[in-house]
Amino acid sequence: MKEHVHRLGPMQVLPSPMRHYKPEEIVDYCIVGVGSAGGVLAQRLARAGFSVVALEAGPFWDTEKDWVSDEKGSHELYWDDLRITGGKDPLALGANNSGKGVGGGSVHWAAFAPRFHPSDFRVYSQDGVGADWPMSYNDLKPYYELLEQEIPVAGPAWFPWGNPHGYPYGPHPMGAVGDVLVRGCTNLGIRSVAGGPVAILSASHGDRPHCIYRGFCIQGCKVGAKASTLITHVPDAITHGAEIRAHSMVSRVNLGRDGRVTGVTYFDREHRERVQHARAVIVSGYAIETPRLLFNSACPGHKHGLANSSGTLGKYLMAQAGNVVAGRFDQLIRLYKAPPAHALSEEFYETDKQRDFARGFAIQTVGPLPIAFAKQMVAAIGAWGWGLRRVMMDYNHWATLGVLGEILPWQDNRVELADEKDQYGLRVAKVTFNLHDNDKKLIEFAKQKVMDVMRAAGAEQVVQESRYAHLVGAARMGSDPDDSVVDKFGRTHDIPNLFICDGSILPTQGSANPGLTIQALAARTADYLIKQGESIFSSNKRDLNEPGIRYDLSPPYTRFKGNPRIA
Amino acid sequence: MSKNSFPRDPKTGKAIRNLSQPGYYPGYSTLGQRNAWDETTRKTVVERVHSHEEIRFFSPHEAELLSAVADRLIPQDDRADDRTIPILPSIDERLYKNQLNGFRYEDMPPDREAYRLGLHAIDEMSQQRFQLTFIALPVFRQELLLKSLHDGKPDPPHPAWKHMPVHRFWAMLMEDCATAYYSHPWSWDEIGFGGPAYPRAYTRLENGLPEPWEKDETRYEWNAPEDSVSEIDIAGAPPERSPLHGHGGTH
Repeated sequence: MKEHVHRLGPMQVLPSPMRHYKPEEIVDYCIVGVGSAGGVLAQRLARAGFSVVALEAGPFWDTEKDWVSDEKGSHELYWDDLRITGGKDPLALGANNSGKGVGGGSVHWAAFAPRFHPSDFRVYSQDGVGADWPMSYNDLKPYYELLEQEIPVAGPAWFPWGNPHGYPYGPHPMGAVGDVLVRGCTNLGIRSVAGGPVAILSASHGDRPHCIYRGFCIQGCKVGAKASTLITHVPDAITHGAEIRAHSMVSRVNLGRDGRVTGVTYFDREHRERVQHARAVIVSGYAIETPRLLFNSACPGHKHGLANSSGTLGKYLMAQAGNVVAGRFDQLIRLYKAPPAHALSEEFYETDKQRDFARGFAIQTVGPLPIAFAKQMVAAIGAWGWGLRRVMMDYNHWATLGVLGEILPWQDNRVELADEKDQYGLRVAKVTFNLHDNDKKLIEFAKQKVMDVMRAAGAEQVVQESRYAHLVGAARMGSDPDDSVVDKFGRTHDIPNLFICDGSILPTQGSANPGLTIQALAARTADYLIKQGESIFSSNKRDLNEPGIRYDLSPPYTRFKGNPRIA
Repeated sequence: MSKNSFPRDPKTGKAIRNLSQPGYYPGYSTLGQRNAWDETTRKTVVERVHSHEEIRFFSPHEAELLSAVADRLIPQDDRADDRTIPILPSIDERLYKNQLNGFRYEDMPPDREAYRLGLHAIDEMSQQRFQLTFIALPVFRQELLLKSLHDGKPDPPHPAWKHMPVHRFWAMLMEDCATAYYSHPWSWDEIGFGGPAYPRAYTRLENGLPEPWEKDETRYEWNAPEDSVSEIDIAGAPPERSPLHGHGGTH
């Protein structure tokens, strides 16, 4: 009988056999959610010799069998289960910002991978708004550098904003939309970069081939050129003994009498209730599912949810302003070619005292395929009927640029539980979102600026659609247990062997796509856990010293490969 | 669909009809490239063209009504009968399987209920305003009634819009119709979208240049049917109420 080969891209094969732990076995770490953070954590902890079971609610993708170069055919990549969304400025969820399946959101991110700026870590000190992080840019910098090699990130040799740096892999060739961004910015005297930074291979790398510029990045990269933890870290985790258990929806984190967690309860593929015992639990479910799980884990002594003695759980949820500006050009563009994430400017990232709001925004290329573009035209110009047919016949004449704007953390932007239940009988999340004055001013300024860029590039007609991108916050880190959920290593203030590591722990979000930062934080938390060793499983003592970065835990092919020209 | 409201050639005044391929890329065929696609993608796209799903969620009357509505939201009068892209089966399948887009606005009923409520309202509004069912209305009046929903000012008012915001219903309906139409390879031929390109790749990335197997643009002028009210009217577009629809596919 021919053995089933589980493919991760055309060249890479999932390591086999994968270790399977017996139901009664107590493992060192149970990780909930195998996305950007969960994949990196499982890889690091397994390499360091810990026993690891990582539970993922969605499937374990075989990229050749399961993925398509097709918009409509890719809906299973997203967290499409019910959530309720409301507030004055409700967020669209699902395909916009929530992944399901091994790799999580990193499967469908566009893969822009800029770092946060040093200023992002001290927004409150500098601007009197938002929050400070309990750590600095310098604490994370070595992890940015390491992950940029592991993922790896392709981009310009010189990235001039924030803490200037270069990228280990060369920039991608120019597409027409990137050209529009560079032309428009240049005509206005705004600096821009092209060809990255993006977590897409511009040259082959180990058992992953280079990009073929087919434009279906956010439908899942069949090519294996775009990084997701499914192909960058999960295979190495399995090689080193981690078990990735797909189709496992965790329903609660279990608490023992000693006030420490004992593992999790979950539903398997057949909706049977199972238990996984663990000496420590790391929740990596992203900004909605993480607080939802902890709320659903409420128990005596923690009646408002686990790790919520501060009442902060679920609060300070953030999305970034993601207005899309579309410009129609006389000449053909064909925006579906080249990676949607391609060129950007961070010229407006920092607070500028000349403006009447704090913080700023980035300008980035986006590449909506026909369905997405049609929906944008419906929203931006009220297209329908013959008008929609007409504007869509001009699809190849349009270029699209996105605002990526910093929305500040506000207490009233939050995740709670709704009364409705999902297919497992678990209460679903309710998300409430309101723009505040600073956010509205920032968005209006950013929108106008990007429309200026589009006009300066030569567009004859410029329209825009208001929307949002990404989700972070809702279980933020901080040094004060009264107004944060976890410490700077992701350890919950309330329960010494319960950790959170994903986008939900971010106190602020800057104007950078969060994926790289989430992975860098995960690698740092892993180093911390490894350094602490057995004490995590038995001691309640909290050591807040930096662990020191480990350079010997990277996946194969990545060490010393692709050195940045300017570090 | 019944086809009796044709766009016109502004020079000759002739109806533009019975086209096997509208749009500015004559002779371009994405399906013609299917042997260059990977097997899973080929199967997904080819099945979409040949599938004839029976209607399982909507009642026969609802199905007929939604078809008539979809015929105006994405009119295809210029397309030949055998090159008309089915819209209804795609929406029916989503609702039959109760496939969500990952969220529901707190002021909206569940998708299934919203569709039933909305369709019923459209029919009653038609009776009240024109004393005819929506299906029996001439195209011009169908458009007028739908435009009042598009504008967010239902005419005549109907209690359904007190239970769900009309702009959200409109956005969901447009999203579902656009998804059905622009996921079909015949629409890709129409707009010149290159379609799937794995494992072959795109190689001409700059300046909007066609791949060797793509076509250059050959434009023609056309006017919407004379009495149509669905042409783009930026000045008259309803205020943007963000965000209206699922935002997949951009960032």
